[in-house]
Amino acid sequence: MTSLPRQSSHSLRAVALGLLWTSPWLIGATVFLLVPIALSVYYSLTDFSLLESPVFIGLDNYRELGRDALYFKAVANTLIFAVASVVCSTLLSIIVAVLLEAPLRSAGLLRAIVFAPVLVPAVAACMSWLWLYNNEQGLINSMLRTVGLPAPDWLGSTSLAMPALIIMSLWVIGSPVVIYSAALKGVPASLYEAADLDGATGPWRLWHVTLPMISPAVLFNAVMSLIWSLQVFAPPLIMTKGGPDNSTLVYSVYVYLNAFFYSRMGYACAMAWIQVVATLVLTAGLMLAARRFVYYRGT
Amino acid sequence: MHRRSTSRAGRLVLLGIIGVAFAIPLAWMVVVAARPHDAAHTGAGITALLDNIRSVWEWPGADFPIYFRNSTLVSLLAVAGMTLSSAVCAYGFSRLRWPGRDSLFMVVLATLMIPPVVVMAPLYVVFKKLGWIGTLLPLWAPSCFAGAMSIFLLRQFFRTIPRELDEAARIDGCSHWGIFTRVIIPSSTPAIATVALLHFIATWNDFLTPLLFINHQDQYTLPLGLHMFNQQHGQTPWPLVMAACCITVAPVMLVYVLARRWFTQGVAATGLKE
Amino acid sequence: MSSTGDKLVTTRRAVLGALTAGALGAALWPRAPRSRADIPAGRTVLTYWEKWTGAEGEAIQRVVDRFNTSQDAIWVRRVPVADIVPKAMVAIAGGDPPDLVGLYSFNIPAFAESQAALALDDLAPFGDRIDPAIYAPAVDRLLHYQGRQWAAVTSCYALGLYCNLAHFRAAGLDPAALPRTISQLDHAAERLTRKAPTGQIEQTGFQQNLPQWWPYFWPVLFASELYDPGLDRPTIADPPGVAAFSWISDTARRLGVAESRSLARTYDRSFHTSADPFFSGRASMIVQGPWLASFARSAAPSLDFACVPAPMADAVFDPSAPLGMVEADVVVIPRGCRHPRESMAFIRFLQRQDVLEELAQAHGKSSPLADVSPSFFATHPNAQVRAFDAVIRSRRAVILPQTRVWQQYADMTSGAFDRAWSGEPAQAVLNEVQARAQELMSTATARRRAREAAAP
Repeated sequence: MTSLPRQSSHSLRAVALGLLWTSPWLIGATVFLLVPIALSVYYSLTDFSLLESPVFIGLDNYRELGRDALYFKAVANTLIFAVASVVCSTLLSIIVAVLLEAPLRSAGLLRAIVFAPVLVPAVAACMSWLWLYNNEQGLINSMLRTVGLPAPDWLGSTSLAMPALIIMSLWVIGSPVVIYSAALKGVPASLYEAADLDGATGPWRLWHVTLPMISPAVLFNAVMSLIWSLQVFAPPLIMTKGGPDNSTLVYSVYVYLNAFFYSRMGYACAMAWIQVVATLVLTAGLMLAARRFVYYRGT
Repeated sequence: MHRRSTSRAGRLVLLGIIGVAFAIPLAWMVVVAARPHDAAHTGAGITALLDNIRSVWEWPGADFPIYFRNSTLVSLLAVAGMTLSSAVCAYGFSRLRWPGRDSLFMVVLATLMIPPVVVMAPLYVVFKKLGWIGTLLPLWAPSCFAGAMSIFLLRQFFRTIPRELDEAARIDGCSHWGIFTRVIIPSSTPAIATVALLHFIATWNDFLTPLLFINHQDQYTLPLGLHMFNQQHGQTPWPLVMAACCITVAPVMLVYVLARRWFTQGVAATGLKE
Repeated sequence: MSSTGDKLVTTRRAVLGALTAGALGAALWPRAPRSRADIPAGRTVLTYWEKWTGAEGEAIQRVVDRFNTSQDAIWVRRVPVADIVPKAMVAIAGGDPPDLVGLYSFNIPAFAESQAALALDDLAPFGDRIDPAIYAPAVDRLLHYQGRQWAAVTSCYALGLYCNLAHFRAAGLDPAALPRTISQLDHAAERLTRKAPTGQIEQTGFQQNLPQWWPYFWPVLFASELYDPGLDRPTIADPPGVAAFSWISDTARRLGVAESRSLARTYDRSFHTSADPFFSGRASMIVQGPWLASFARSAAPSLDFACVPAPMADAVFDPSAPLGMVEADVVVIPRGCRHPRESMAFIRFLQRQDVLEELAQAHGKSSPLADVSPSFFATHPNAQVRAFDAVIRSRRAVILPQTRVWQQYADMTSGAFDRAWSGEPAQAVLNEVQARAQELMSTATARRRAREAAAP
């Protein structure tokens, strides 16, 4: 009985010590994450131009969002980009990772080449791709012309600009490939041997043995790539400025334009706040939906 | 047997295509940068490349030497701040036992789901209140308050260090700080190097933060300087833009070539996306 | 095997260490920024952000140099800044502005309403007020908003039609009778356009998206002012605007929507260079600002061309009073400027007739002032400058809508332009723009009133 208060004071001290050691993160998360999020909730209820002090206007910003056709266009564009980019990049990165498993002398070089785009600053990547997509002198169109195919105006056409950005996003799959490679190494050889004894072919083996075994990595990558693609910013801003005819205007670019070009900080905060909620809901949805398909060994 | 070898040949062809496709955008950047940028110069090649890089470096409307300096300074400060603060936090999350520790760690991981773009506008107000607008502080100071990914990675590593080492140090009269600096840090150099490298890339490549919070040309970093160079009133010739890209990309690539293994380990452990 | 591996790791560590040391050295290298070099001691330093680079930047730098040597108390440090408007806005909001900012005249209402700029009239105690009568009337209107002057002018421009005279002759058109009306323009364009059997445009007579920098400009040629300040109402969906956008659709259809768009995008980076569509002969006529003539001198010295004010709709044709849009580059003193008195001294220097005329000549533009010195045109390097001057001094010169939501309104016309080019009906497209612009304007006005009512 007498030891109880001492124990609780002991655990209080332990908590205090723990909080002290983790205080850098606690302070940082409060100042650079919690406070801004709280502020953004408040600003979303105000008329705020950055240059003038905020004036409370209730839910007017949200009501206006409901009538803003461009906003809905930005939402649709972002969803199209996210879904297409997540699906295609997941498929491509699994394929590349599986191919790279081949015992090859140059595998190391190939891995380096596939990973390198991750390290290229987005601005430089955009410049390079702007040039590849260039209408008359660009490499892609020159090659298409050489083989006698039509050379479309990639970034200038309302139907091709978004696919062009999605294709570009597939260039940056170095991280998932590395993660899949690590996951593939963890698949026990005995499973493959058993499948071979059953006379399994390559694709069957991939679908029934490899994929289930690496499914946790697939989920992790899909979640990361979803979060990333929902906030895609630099490529549409730099390469198309949201055009032509707003066909590449994505959510983050519209938030940026409103906050810093049109001086409508309050309106931008309302959008940003919705984005936080939507990202959380979509991510949680993806994780729930995937629970059925993901195989965790040993759990 | 025959089927095997055709499938192997198919694999090789596919890998060749993949290799070329992934290499082209970067390779082409260099190829275009090695073209003459105005009618006064002719002939593409190394001379043209060096000439273009010099033109960019000395371009009167820009100030690439200063951008380079700023990028280096900011990256060094951010990396130092991030590794130290994250290591301290990771120690608190792995080597200390206290109620609520693991729940708090879940919160740390959950913050990874909040897109940074979302806080960009109100963050401006916070920086303004802190008096950081007009300085380089917004680019590196937040790194001194740890990051979720880095904490995660270091915590994983710290957990693998045998507890007996702590005990031995404690018997020698070491405090927690002593254990941290004398036991944990020296035995975690690979993990710390990985965190440092990943954060170096993140800071060096960061475009959004300087775009929003840096206003003076004297304080531009390379990605922002490159963007502004490309955006400037009137048109910048393509070879010069690509030469500026090369200046921006080269240090990252150099570090990657030298430290590839740590990158691969770090990414396999955390997943890095731009 | 393992020893070479170890060696490799050690050398790598050594190289990485050397790299870090080098980076540390680079980071601590005490190098003054280019724009701060050579500032003499004892002067008040003014930071002046300006958007121009290249030859235009050199011209404003000569003005700055002249000011710096004309006295020994103030030193103006010009910094070229891209994306200058949002950068200025954010710097002002952060309480860290430069002393002077070069903006576009259409930014004035937004900056004035949010008090991001200081009204020059309020700085009168620091010297004489600038007499508004010195400016050409259209420029005077641009610099004033709600009765106060917010900015000084650096240069002004109108758009003109550039015609390739060799092409005119080759097509059997009279190079002495350049198009002055829309129907004359269409007629000439028809004769000047050459297509390959594949549909690819080898030579384009005229197309409004080359360059697509002023999507909101075309209604002006049909006598629309885009905005009714009395009613606070956008007017782009009124008949003149619809006529203009229908004309755009017609041009696209005649040339081929995809082909003409593809041609325009090909040149998105080559304007003003020797590959410019007009300089290289790909386009026979192009609507552009007066600066193009200056670039022509170096990029296409042998090009035989002439300019007229941009052609206007036949129904409102009056050769003595061309329709056109006047825009100006301006300098404001931002809120929070640390040296308003010194900045005002520089502004007063900038507004001198000899300074503005020197700058105008270097930029190939006409003078923004009411009085033009007798030698201005005689010594002007741009032989075509009178075509642009005629618009600036026209009694029908139009200035862009003075509303703080103009930037958004303008961006919307860009989307509308793309849709009209694709063949969507002009009226429907413009109705959407008008409805949304009206909502933005009404909201902004209501909120401004509420703010003013709340303020003491």
